Amino acid sequence: MIIKNKSKQWRFIPLSSIWFQDLPEDISLDGYRIDNVIHYTDLIISIYFGIVVAALLYFIIRYRASLGNKAVYDKGDKKKNIIITACLGLLVFLSVDAVIEAMSFKDLREAFWNFPDNEKVVRIEVMPQQFAWNFRYPGPDKVFGNEDDIIPAQNQMHIPINRPVVIQLASWDVIHSFYLPNFRIKQDATPGMITALWFQATKTGVFDIACAELCGNSHYKMLGYLTVEKEEDFEQWLIDNSPEDLGMADEWDEWDNDEQEDAGIPEDWGWAWKELK
Amino acid sequence: MMEYKKNNFWKYYIFSEDHKIIGKQFMWLGLFFLFFGGLLAMLIRWQLGYPEQPVPLIGNWMWPGDGGIINPDIYNQMFTMHGTIMIFWAITPLLIGTFGNFLIPLQIGAPDMAFPKLNMISFWMMFIASVILLSSYFLPSGSASAGWTSYPPLSSPAGGIPGLGQTIWTIALIFMGASTMMGAINYITTVVELRTTGMDFFKLPLSIWGLFLASILNSIFVPVIAAGLVMLLLDQTIGTEFFLAGRLASGDPGDPLLFQHVFWIFGHPEVYILILPVWGIVSDLLSVFSRKPAYGYRVTAIAMSTIVALSSLVWGHHMYTTGMSPLLGKSFMFLTLLISIPSSMFFLNWLGTLWKGKIYFTIPMLFAVGVIWVFGLGGLTGLYNATVTADIYLHDTMFVVGHFHYTLAASVMFGSFAAIYFWFPKMFGKMLNPILGKIHFWGSFISLNFVFFNMMALGYAGHHRRIYNPLEYTFLKPLANMNEWISIFAFLLGIFQVLFLINIIWTLWFSKQCKPNPWNATTLEWTIDYPIPHGNFEVSPIIYNGPHEYSRPDVKDRDWLMQNEYIQT
Repeated sequence: MIIKNKSKQWRFIPLSSIWFQDLPEDISLDGYRIDNVIHYTDLIISIYFGIVVAALLYFIIRYRASLGNKAVYDKGDKKKNIIITACLGLLVFLSVDAVIEAMSFKDLREAFWNFPDNEKVVRIEVMPQQFAWNFRYPGPDKVFGNEDDIIPAQNQMHIPINRPVVIQLASWDVIHSFYLPNFRIKQDATPGMITALWFQATKTGVFDIACAELCGNSHYKMLGYLTVEKEEDFEQWLIDNSPEDLGMADEWDEWDNDEQEDAGIPEDWGWAWKELK
Repeated sequence: MMEYKKNNFWKYYIFSEDHKIIGKQFMWLGLFFLFFGGLLAMLIRWQLGYPEQPVPLIGNWMWPGDGGIINPDIYNQMFTMHGTIMIFWAITPLLIGTFGNFLIPLQIGAPDMAFPKLNMISFWMMFIASVILLSSYFLPSGSASAGWTSYPPLSSPAGGIPGLGQTIWTIALIFMGASTMMGAINYITTVVELRTTGMDFFKLPLSIWGLFLASILNSIFVPVIAAGLVMLLLDQTIGTEFFLAGRLASGDPGDPLLFQHVFWIFGHPEVYILILPVWGIVSDLLSVFSRKPAYGYRVTAIAMSTIVALSSLVWGHHMYTTGMSPLLGKSFMFLTLLISIPSSMFFLNWLGTLWKGKIYFTIPMLFAVGVIWVFGLGGLTGLYNATVTADIYLHDTMFVVGHFHYTLAASVMFGSFAAIYFWFPKMFGKMLNPILGKIHFWGSFISLNFVFFNMMALGYAGHHRRIYNPLEYTFLKPLANMNEWISIFAFLLGIFQVLFLINIIWTLWFSKQCKPNPWNATTLEWTIDYPIPHGNFEVSPIIYNGPHEYSRPDVKDRDWLMQNEYIQT
């Protein structure tokens, strides 16, 4: 398809950019589980839809009136018909629904709802506001809500590679949703309640954090950056951002701080980590 | 039999108590909003396909201050109003308003609705709701912009949506709910009480089954959303805090999640309210144009009823990412997946109806067969969203948008179009032009598949919903071409709908009156000549046969037998 663009030039939109898109790169420990259930569903519904379409096409071509067919007076309400229909319905349920249900429940039990609780866990509190992400790290004492908490610049989240990250969320104002496409996860942040999720990164790099729940006119700009880095870099980053250290990095942070004030970074965090069952 | 006086213009055409006139009033209202909502969709697609470029033709005239570019505020208002209008002001009046009114008394052999005056008030309540809704466009701050789901706190002033638009939206929806409620009570009473002699429940056409079941759902769940909306209205106006919590609440906190529960307890049955009449209509039309009884009629009717019962137990699948308890998540997933059993049963019955039939590809039949395709895809892709883990990824992405456009936009619109093409001869005495109809069908069918399938592909790649400019995100940049393709086909889809409008106008002006039963159908409405008088039947008909007596071997000279024809067996 050829179309005129902004600069009034004709250009070509590639045909390959229709019908199919790959899932984004998966860089998480458990993302493959979601990819698997999605791919199984892809396969099985393609088969069933293929059968339906094949039957549909065959019937409408084979039994069209212009061929001089005679309709058969068949109400399909004999016991035999009903049993066959019911069995096919059950077959669909067992081959599609039961399988994806089993896969999903297993993944929830083993991964998504099985929160890790060990030394290696990195705990982070996330508090979204219109239209930015605030993060809080517990600092050296591993306890939230005291002086040594680390609150880095807005929209900047750093995590170490190959360590489980547990996140608790609560919203500052309206409902937001913490969405990491490359980790296949998403969790709403709602005012007045604390929600949680966990994940583990398997690759370093910088990835997008998006807000998936409509939160106002700049919802589309509520973009954060998740930096996955090596253990040492992460520790260094924590030190660079710890409250005592901020004075030393004046030159850099002055500009940053101005921006933070404009955006209204919450002075008073207002909630702290809660042990969830 | 009741006597009906000939009334003056006002009493006959405007404040009419005749169900057929009221049905037509709903149709014009629905069509107006269908095109209005469609225009909004075109503008939304422009912004997504060509982000922040001036809208051609109307941009400079609509938004001179922004150089013809849609700004984020306007964009949010557009998709909010698009969703609201399409669901409550286009589909609901087109299917339930129009065909509920027009078909129920005619097909069950009743002189009119059980409560004709209530019926008239129902339409005018809807009209008032429409005026209220549209009035928000004249506010300086514009219309509502918190999405059709309108979750608080965003939809309350505390959450930062400025202005009256959101309040007006809530009030309009409460009026709309009142109108729907009146209709539902009327339809249920009429079907239960006014069926003519011999019209058992299992002799009702499946269209009536669909409309009847939809009305039952409406009568149960509209009050739920009405209660929620009144609470929301109080939050918006007098400062209560039902749905506010955290920093936005001053006293004891309310609960934003409560609204989501209330909304989806109604909202999920709502999608079945919209699709049930389509299932019924499609089942009937497939039978008419295959010249063959609807396969497994009773199974279809019972499957539809089962889905009605299940549909009220599955709302939680809209809320998997809210942090609900694992036990609830699993239960909702299981209950949701159960729906696939009755759904696949009636779906198979549709194919069974075509099997060994004598298929005529009239325009209504094309649309009915189209529904098999689009509803098949829409239904199957629901599986991803029902699965807790897959939904963690796909929730609130364009995948969901593509999925529900297949079920609601494509299936329901095709069902409505099929119904309009099919019953137009009974409503207006004229047959819509089949050539324009064919172009309308094929154009819509092809372009809608490009639009909605590719939306699902976008969601697959992670594209989240309701974002003004996808190019803000690194992971969405490669999708720009796909977004552009979707927009091009969306514009085509829009253009093909204009043909439909032209067809209606052309036919009403220029076509000649057609035969009273042009499709050789068997249901009661085809026994009466156009124009059908107020009061419908001269003599109350007596029913001997089921609704789909086609190609009966003991009927010799033709292949159909009317429901009120008695033959010796």
